[in-house]
Amino acid sequence: MNTIIESIKKEFNNNILGVSISHNETYLTIKKEIIVKMCDHLYHHLDIPLVCIFATDEREKAGSFKVHYVFSLDREDAFIILRIDIDGKNPKFPSITNKVAAANWYEREIQDMFGLIPVGHPDPRRLMNFEDWPSGVHPLRKDFDIKTKPPRVVGEYLYRRVEGEGVYEIPVGPVHAGVIEPGHFRFSVAGEPIINLEIRHFYTHKGVEKLFENISLDKAVFLAERISGDNSVAHAVAFCQAMEKIAGMNIPPRAKHTRTILLELERIYNHIGDIAGIATDVAFSFGAAHANKLKEDVLQLNERVTGSRLLRGMNTIGGVRRDIGSKKDEILLRLSLIHRDFRKLMELLFSTPSLMDRIETTGRLYNDIAKGLHVVGPVGRASGIDRDTRRDHPYAAYREFNFKVPVSKAGDVHARTVVRGDEICESIAIIEQALWSLPEGNINIKADNIPDGHALGYSESPRGETIYWIRTCGNKIERCKVRDPSFCNWLSIEYAVLDNIVPDFPIINKSLSLSYSGNDM
Amino acid sequence: MLEILKKTLKTGCQTTKYPDVPDVAQAGFRGMPQLLSDKCTFCGECVKVCPSGVITITEKSDEKTLALSYCGCIFCGRCEEACQFDAVKLTQEYELASLSKEDLVTIIRRKL
Repeated sequence: MNTIIESIKKEFNNNILGVSISHNETYLTIKKEIIVKMCDHLYHHLDIPLVCIFATDEREKAGSFKVHYVFSLDREDAFIILRIDIDGKNPKFPSITNKVAAANWYEREIQDMFGLIPVGHPDPRRLMNFEDWPSGVHPLRKDFDIKTKPPRVVGEYLYRRVEGEGVYEIPVGPVHAGVIEPGHFRFSVAGEPIINLEIRHFYTHKGVEKLFENISLDKAVFLAERISGDNSVAHAVAFCQAMEKIAGMNIPPRAKHTRTILLELERIYNHIGDIAGIATDVAFSFGAAHANKLKEDVLQLNERVTGSRLLRGMNTIGGVRRDIGSKKDEILLRLSLIHRDFRKLMELLFSTPSLMDRIETTGRLYNDIAKGLHVVGPVGRASGIDRDTRRDHPYAAYREFNFKVPVSKAGDVHARTVVRGDEICESIAIIEQALWSLPEGNINIKADNIPDGHALGYSESPRGETIYWIRTCGNKIERCKVRDPSFCNWLSIEYAVLDNIVPDFPIINKSLSLSYSGNDM
Repeated sequence: MLEILKKTLKTGCQTTKYPDVPDVAQAGFRGMPQLLSDKCTFCGECVKVCPSGVITITEKSDEKTLALSYCGCIFCGRCEEACQFDAVKLTQEYELASLSKEDLVTIIRRKL
């Protein structure tokens, strides 16, 4: 860590205005003009992934907006956060998207939510504020009242145009055939193969980050839990950990073990559900029925253990709310049965030619594309990105357990299915270890007052790296940035479908397992 | 193919007879909250802790009313936790569908 900071200091000596360290986070305040060069240096030269960009409105206290660039130093369980000041009178900052493609949506998000303009962004269209939203109204600015109802205005959104002989467009959505959330997909095809896909999202943007600023601390965890319905534990844990970090709390070991078990139960039911979905989308109903049955077994186990099929209501700042120690034998027994059935099912799936024909080489996401977009989670790992928050930034009780992080290089639907299958087996092994070594003691400590401060909280949800950055002030949340893995992964679908035929789109989509709700916050 | 047939026969029918046969939720399930009028002191603790703000307390000259709406209840169980008098209980009931919103409110009253 220190050697990297020293090397950065040497390289950018006069441009670093201040350094502050809290926990495993090093904040470097730098000159706005140097940001592109510095991000380029960190990202390309030092090979440190950019995991989040977010802005804060600090005009009242510091007289300016600030934009934070969070880099994750995986090898050393540390984060480097570059911070630039932006004057409210000249709300512009240099765009880094041309150098670091992963910055694309973050910068457009900041443009919409804070009214700070990323100068030189290759795609300056609006992202979340739709065309009927008046210009100059930016919801995450502190002077925007949460009760504001801006008038609707007339506007137009321009899609990329793909033209040529025999090229035609297939617009799909935002209303879909199934009970899923809204999103627009605009395919350009020449014959059957897809030659371009443009996605448009945020139809159900709910202003969650603004809601956090207007809710009391003890209730905020329930909001975090509901950001992405099937990743509720991961969100709740990331939120609680950020709060506990600010408060300098060390939660009881029994709570850490319990959280680990819950996080892995969540991963198991999500991954089995995704495998069921892939089987459904290739019309292999036998495989789908059996995978869905296994998923139901896990959901019922969840209900027995926590009182909630989706594991809700378990986490709180300071630990967990229910003790699961008495359910140990039941969890072990049921998981061993599920494990046995699951392994047999996977063998059967992978020896079924009608399924293999459809998933091998389909929806290939190449490593360089995945890396460039900062694709996270099992999708990234199936494209050769060997990152996992559980191993790289160990939280809860992960430090104490042995587990492998399955990685594949193929990047197709098959690889994503294999990685998920292997992860389920690892998850079961982690739960077994956690239960066998479940420490005695309390399951939570009281957290009445949270001091003023800021911290990152993170977890590996079934979809990948989930990040919270929270600043508290006067026992309230002043800013809560939530970065769901789907926000990183959605754009990868535009590349994964290229040269595939339209009927394979549902399988590719399913194998990427993207959340609308986690994205449209 | 043979494997598929074998597995299908071995698995048999897995669906339950619900709703003909009731499907009872597990012990500890967080279902419909119940207000117990004989224990409630109308102290308002549950109103304070409810994250979705669906518990309300109103006081008229001759009557105190505590109302809980299931419309926005998220079944977190904080009201149950906060109540010192065991006057709120989360039950195993989950069949909450109703034709009107009024049916989704439970009210207890106390004459002053």
